[in-house]
Amino acid sequence: MAEEALENKMVIKNLSMFYGGFKAIEDVTFDVPARRITALIGPSGCGKSTLVRCLNRMNDLIDGVRVEGEVNLDGENIYQPGFDTIGLRRRVGMVFQRPNPFPKSIYENVAYGPRLVGIKEKGKLDFIVEDSLKKAALWNEVKNILRDSGQNLSGGQQQRLCIARVIAVQPEVILFDEPCSAIDPVATQLIEDLMADLKENYTMVIVTHNMQQAARVSDFTAFMLVQEQGEPGRLIEYGDTNTIFTNPTDERTERYITGRFG
Amino acid sequence: MKAKRADRIATVVFWALGGITVAILAFIILEVLGRGLITALNPRFLFGKPNAMASGGGIFPMIVSTFYLVALTIMISLPIAIGAAIYMAEYARKSKVNSFIRFCLDSLATLPSIVFGLFGLALFVTAFRWSYCLMAGACTLAILNLPILLRSTEEAIKLVPDTYREASMCLGASRWTTIRQVVIPSALPGIITATILPIGRIVGESAAIIYTVGVFIRNVPTNPFDTAAPLAGYIWARQAEHGVPDWRAIVNGGAALLLIMVFIIYFLARYAGRKYQEKKLLGAGTR
Amino acid sequence: MSAPGGGATGLLGAKGARLADRENWIRLVMFGCASVSILSILLIFIFIFKESLPAMRNVGVGNLFFSTNYSPQVGKYGMLGFIWGTLFTTFGAMLIGAPLGIGTAVFLDQVAPERIGRVVRRGIELLAGIPSVVIGWFGLILLVPFLRTVTGTAGFGVFAAVLVLVVMALPTITTLSAETLKSLPLELKEASAAMGATRWQTIYKVLLPSAREGLLIAVILGMGRAIGETMAVQMVIGNARAATFSLFGRTSTLTTRIVTDMAEAPPGDHRSALFAMALVLLLLAMFLIIIIRFVSRERQLSR
Repeated sequence: MAEEALENKMVIKNLSMFYGGFKAIEDVTFDVPARRITALIGPSGCGKSTLVRCLNRMNDLIDGVRVEGEVNLDGENIYQPGFDTIGLRRRVGMVFQRPNPFPKSIYENVAYGPRLVGIKEKGKLDFIVEDSLKKAALWNEVKNILRDSGQNLSGGQQQRLCIARVIAVQPEVILFDEPCSAIDPVATQLIEDLMADLKENYTMVIVTHNMQQAARVSDFTAFMLVQEQGEPGRLIEYGDTNTIFTNPTDERTERYITGRFG
Repeated sequence: MKAKRADRIATVVFWALGGITVAILAFIILEVLGRGLITALNPRFLFGKPNAMASGGGIFPMIVSTFYLVALTIMISLPIAIGAAIYMAEYARKSKVNSFIRFCLDSLATLPSIVFGLFGLALFVTAFRWSYCLMAGACTLAILNLPILLRSTEEAIKLVPDTYREASMCLGASRWTTIRQVVIPSALPGIITATILPIGRIVGESAAIIYTVGVFIRNVPTNPFDTAAPLAGYIWARQAEHGVPDWRAIVNGGAALLLIMVFIIYFLARYAGRKYQEKKLLGAGTR
Repeated sequence: MSAPGGGATGLLGAKGARLADRENWIRLVMFGCASVSILSILLIFIFIFKESLPAMRNVGVGNLFFSTNYSPQVGKYGMLGFIWGTLFTTFGAMLIGAPLGIGTAVFLDQVAPERIGRVVRRGIELLAGIPSVVIGWFGLILLVPFLRTVTGTAGFGVFAAVLVLVVMALPTITTLSAETLKSLPLELKEASAAMGATRWQTIYKVLLPSAREGLLIAVILGMGRAIGETMAVQMVIGNARAATFSLFGRTSTLTTRIVTDMAEAPPGDHRSALFAMALVLLLLAMFLIIIIRFVSRERQLSR
C-alpha cells in the first residue's frame, strides 16, 4: 500500500498543562492527520482526557489552569492570545463519556447548535436536523418522535443523539472522550461502525481505555503513561495503529498492549 | 434496672412532646376555624365591601389587596433572585464576594419584619414620596423575602448537572447563552416550585405592610400606587381599633380565611414539589 | 448553506470583541442583582439610623437607651424597660421552647415510627406557616381569658407573650434541631447501641452532646424569631409602659412598643425614638448573626 501524503489537521507541539502548581501532562507532541481516526490509549489517570480537553480549550473553564506549548489547527496555534475560543469549539466538537442530551426534545437538541449561529428559518433547521441525525445513524429510529424528550432514549441512542448534535454545527474535528464506556456492547458496535463512516468527512480523536476498540477503529494511536505517582502524563509512543499493536517500539507500550499492567 | 426505667420514662416524655406540637396545631386550627369558618365562607363577607361604621362589612378589597401584593412582590423579587442566584452559582462560584453576600443575606433573614416596615416607611413611602401603596409594600416585601427566595433559586440552579453546561459550551455557546438556553430552562420547574412557599409568607405578613401599604380601603385597588389593605394587616387593625360593632365576627372570619389561604398554599407547594421530584426521577434515566 | 464553524482564521474579529463585551455587561447585571442584598442591608442601616438621630440628639443617648422613664407626653423616651421586656419574654420563651423544640426533634429523629414522624413534621411545617396575627388572635381570645380565670390576673402580660412566642419559635427550633440530629453520622448511634446502651442513654450521652453546636444555633435562631415577633405579642402582652419583673405583669417589648405608638406618633422626637428602638432591634439581630457565625466556625474547627 502506497503511503499517501497525509495532511495534518492538528499538530500538538510540546504541550504541557498545569493545574495550579501541579503538572498534569508534560511535553506531548504528535500529529492528528486529517480525516483519520487517532486514538489515545493508556491506563486510568494517564492524562488522556486532560490532553483531549486541551484540543478544544475546554480546560480553560477550570480555574488555575495553565498551558505551555502549542496546539495547531490548520497551522494556527489555538492558544495564541485573542484566539476565538467560541469559534474553535464549533470547529472542534466533543462527545462525552456519559451521554448528556439536554432536557429538551430530540429536535431541539440537534437544532441547538445551528440556532446558536443564527439559523432560524424552520426549513433550514428541519434539513440540518434530519441530515445530522442521518449521519449519526439515528434518523430512522427517531424520525417519528422528534418532539419527544432526548432523555427518553436508550443509552446508545442518546450517545448517537449527542453525535448528531455535534455534527449539526459542521465541525471539522470531533473529539470522543471514552464515548462507549457507559454504553452496552451492542450499542458500542453501532457507534464504532458509525465512526468508520464519519471518517469520510471528519477528523476524529478518540480517547479510550479499551485497547481492542482502539485497534479496531483507529488509524493512528498514541500511548500515554504516568510513570510514577505524582509525575505528569507523558506521550510514550505514537504511530500508525497496526505498528503500535503488532510491533511497538517502546517496551512500556508493549507491556500495556499485552496486558501486563493497566 | 435503673437504665431501663429511665429509658421507658424518656420514651413516654418524647411521645408527649411530639404530641404537644400536633395538639397545639390542632387546637389552633379548630378554634380559629370554629369561630370564623362560617363567616369566612359567607359570600357577603367574601365579596362585600367593608363598612367604616356599621355592621355587615365584607373584605373583598382586602382579599384583592393581598393577591395584588403577592403578584407585585413576586414580579419584583423573582428576577432579582434569579439574577443573583445566577451570579453566585455561575459566575463567581467560590469567591470572597460570595461569602460577604451570604452574610448580608443571613442578616436580612434575621431582621424583625417591623424593621423592614419602618424602613419601607422611611424610604418608599416618605423619601420616594410614594405614600402608602402596594408598590411600597411590594418593594419592602421583596427585600424581606430575598434571602429565602435566593437560596431556593440557587439550589435549583446548582442542581443542573455540569455536563449540560459543558456540552453547550462545546457546541460553541457563550457562557451567557448556556445559562439562558440550557441552565435556566432546566432549573425553571425547581424555581417555580420554590416560589410557592414564600407566597404563604407574603400572605401572612402584617408588620411590614401596615406601614407601607395601608390598613383600610373601601374600594378594590386597581393601580400599584393605590393605597391598599392586605387582609393580615386589616384584621390586626380591626382588633386593635374595633371601629364597627361586629368587629369580632370580622376578625374571626378574616383569621379563618387567612388560615385557609396559607394552608392551601402550603399543600400546593408540597404537591408541586412532589410532582417536580417525580418528573426528575423519571426523566433523567439512561438505560 | 452557511459555514458556521469554518473560517480560515480564528482570530478574534470585531464580532468576537462585541461578544466579549456582552458577556461582561451581562456579568455586571447579574452582579448588580446579587448586590441588592448588600445594598439593602446597608440602606436599612442608614435609614433607620438617620431617622433615630433626632431622638438621639434631642433626648440624649443616655436618656434614650439607658433610662426606663418612658412618658412621651412630657418628652421622655427611655426604652430600657422595653429592652428588658424583649429580653424577658425571649428568655422565657426559650426556657420553654428550647426543651420542647429539641425534645420534639429527638422524638422525630429517634422515637417516632416513620408514619407518625411524617405527620408531626407536616404539623410543624403548617405551624410555621400560620400568620402572626392569627396566633395573636388565638392568644387574645383563648389564652388571655384562660390565664385570667386560672391566675386571677389580667390575663394579659409576660406569660401570655411567652406562650405565644413559644408557638412562633417552636417550628424554627424543631426543624433546625432535627436537621442537626439527622446529620450526625450513623456510626455514632450504632457504636453506642452496640455497647448495650438504651436509647435514652444514647440520646443524652452521645447524640445531644455531639449535636451541641447545631442545637445551639437552632435555639439562637429561635431567639431571633422571638425577638423580632411583633403582632402576636402585641395582642397579648398588655402594652403597658412600665417594665415589670413579674411573670403576669403587663408590659411592652421593643417591637410591640413601636407598633402601639407608631399610629399616634407624629414625625418628631417621638417617632424618632421609635426608630431608635428599631435600631436596637437591628443591632440585636446582627449580634445574633455574629454569634452564630462564631459558633459555626467553632463547629468547623472541632471536626
